[in-house]
Amino acid sequence: MQLSAYIPCLTTIKSIISENEANDIKTFELVFRKEEDQENFDYNPGQFAEISVIGKGECPIGIASSPTEKGSIKFTIKKMGTVTTAMHMAEVGDAIGVRGPLGNGWPIEELKGKNIIVIGGGFAFSTLRSLVEFIIHDDNRADYKEIIVIYGNRNCSEILYQEDLMRWKKREDVDVALTIDCAEKGWDGRVGFVAPIVESVDPSPKNSIAIMCGPPIMIKTTEAVLEKLHFQPGQILESLENRMKCGIGKCGRCNIGDKFVCVDGPVFSKAELNKMPREY
Amino acid sequence: MTDKILKKEEIEKFYLDLSRYFNFFAPTKENGNIVFKKITDPCEIIFDFLNSKVPPKEIVFPRMETLFTYKINGKEIEIEPVNNLNEKYLIFGIRPCDAYSFNLLENFFASGKFQDDIFIEKRKNTILIGMGCNTPRQTCFCTSLDHGGHPHRMDDVDIFLTDLGDKYLMRSISKMGKAIIDKLAWLSDAQRKDVAKAVELSKKAEELIKTKVDLENIAETLKPHFDHPLWKEISENCLGCGTCAFLCPTCTCFDVIDENDHYNNRGKRIRLWDTCQFCIYTTHASGHNPRKSKIERCRNRILHKFSYYPKNYGMLGCVGCGRCIQSCPVNNDLRVIIHKIKNLEKEKIEVKIIAT
Repeated sequence: MQLSAYIPCLTTIKSIISENEANDIKTFELVFRKEEDQENFDYNPGQFAEISVIGKGECPIGIASSPTEKGSIKFTIKKMGTVTTAMHMAEVGDAIGVRGPLGNGWPIEELKGKNIIVIGGGFAFSTLRSLVEFIIHDDNRADYKEIIVIYGNRNCSEILYQEDLMRWKKREDVDVALTIDCAEKGWDGRVGFVAPIVESVDPSPKNSIAIMCGPPIMIKTTEAVLEKLHFQPGQILESLENRMKCGIGKCGRCNIGDKFVCVDGPVFSKAELNKMPREY
Repeated sequence: MTDKILKKEEIEKFYLDLSRYFNFFAPTKENGNIVFKKITDPCEIIFDFLNSKVPPKEIVFPRMETLFTYKINGKEIEIEPVNNLNEKYLIFGIRPCDAYSFNLLENFFASGKFQDDIFIEKRKNTILIGMGCNTPRQTCFCTSLDHGGHPHRMDDVDIFLTDLGDKYLMRSISKMGKAIIDKLAWLSDAQRKDVAKAVELSKKAEELIKTKVDLENIAETLKPHFDHPLWKEISENCLGCGTCAFLCPTCTCFDVIDENDHYNNRGKRIRLWDTCQFCIYTTHASGHNPRKSKIERCRNRILHKFSYYPKNYGMLGCVGCGRCIQSCPVNNDLRVIIHKIKNLEKEKIEVKIIAT
């Protein structure tokens, strides 16, 4: 009998990249120890997985890699609690448990034929990175229209995935607008919070979907801007976080009304969120 | 098939015959409390009891349960699934409300995109021998529930017993129940007067439940009142102790932790009962808490049972056992809460009348 719901697959840490000056955000590249586990891990951008440091516990983390990047999966993890701290102490070669993919992810089918405005703030950019990498891949790029990426951070040392962002910037089919809260020496990008930058970029709502991930204050202010730009609630997608344990809709705690963030989300449209209680 | 009679003095025989195949759980007394326990001696069985303090849910969904075990050897890790899921369980004397709760638990654990295979396996291997309540408690309100709750409801068990004094009337309800009774060839047939007495007891028990809780359209009534000040009133004296949830036969929430045996480089990932009444239950790593006060937490418990569960499964998430009423240290009474919520609807009608 296969008892799979709670049992993680084992992976090995292949590489660890420190993403910021504070060294409290790292990207871990993991490779499944069993080939069949790798094949079964068939995911979409925007999904998450439960990461186990065996002996310490488990926590849900968004998948930062794109399904187009074969051979390994990546997770960007900020040092916060017991498991993430244990993760930060891990070394290349260590065993890490992965249970997933979980959650609904970004609706890549529904996004086909649309202009996509990706709006991110701080370290909540991981599943947005996954989405952009997926869309700009040669196999998929023709399915989607214009792509605008707006990404804000407190300062330039906090910007994740700098190499990827440079690569996207060089492409003619992606508009990248990077912003930091206050001006810094040597910074040639924009300065200011994400919401006003979205307003100045002024994306057209016509045939567009805005996809957002970031701290609550950024979400709130940017929602107002998008509304001003005539985006309808159905055109705004957000990925939520709530405390989770099981990730499969059984432990109870991530519920918002009758929905679970782990199985019904984490991606919800603003139209859906408007109907749900504000318990997130 | 005719009903059978199990004389109370034959319980030992009954136990000996069935404990060969099953882990035999029955109501016993421990420190003054009734508790469903695996027994090794039929003398432990308590015949005269109202209901257990902790619901027998804990037999199939224990308060602490292993999800898997692991061994750590440097960078090598070995994960072992649990291997005790083929055990067979028999619960003797489960009350109709608790038996019905097993359906609610199963709805939840066995449905959706992912199934809880550990619960499903255990439930599959469990036989329920129900027992009608001849003297329901004052806090019982099973008859108020829309599923046809009744102190002698038989639908959810394999075999149903009615206590006739010195003997039980025994009726097989499921195929499995019939198979078991067929094996116990020594059971005598019930007389017509035994059956008649059982019917009479059932009617009398129903009459004894004086509390009627108006649960009609409760989910609809709750909907527009999410932000009503009533929730503040309801939660005012709540201590947030979680007793109501821990003793609820339909509550399913759990926490997951790794428990290590450091000296032997091994451990197990376990789940433990948890409750939405605790602050930390929903607190994010950042410190943000979506249900930051008792108001939101008390509201979540009520809405889960009377709005969210009905929305997802088409039935109320309460069985009317009354444990949360009995054990609340500050006497918060679910029946009163429901009554207050129901009155909100009436208030609205009254306002309308005045307005016109």
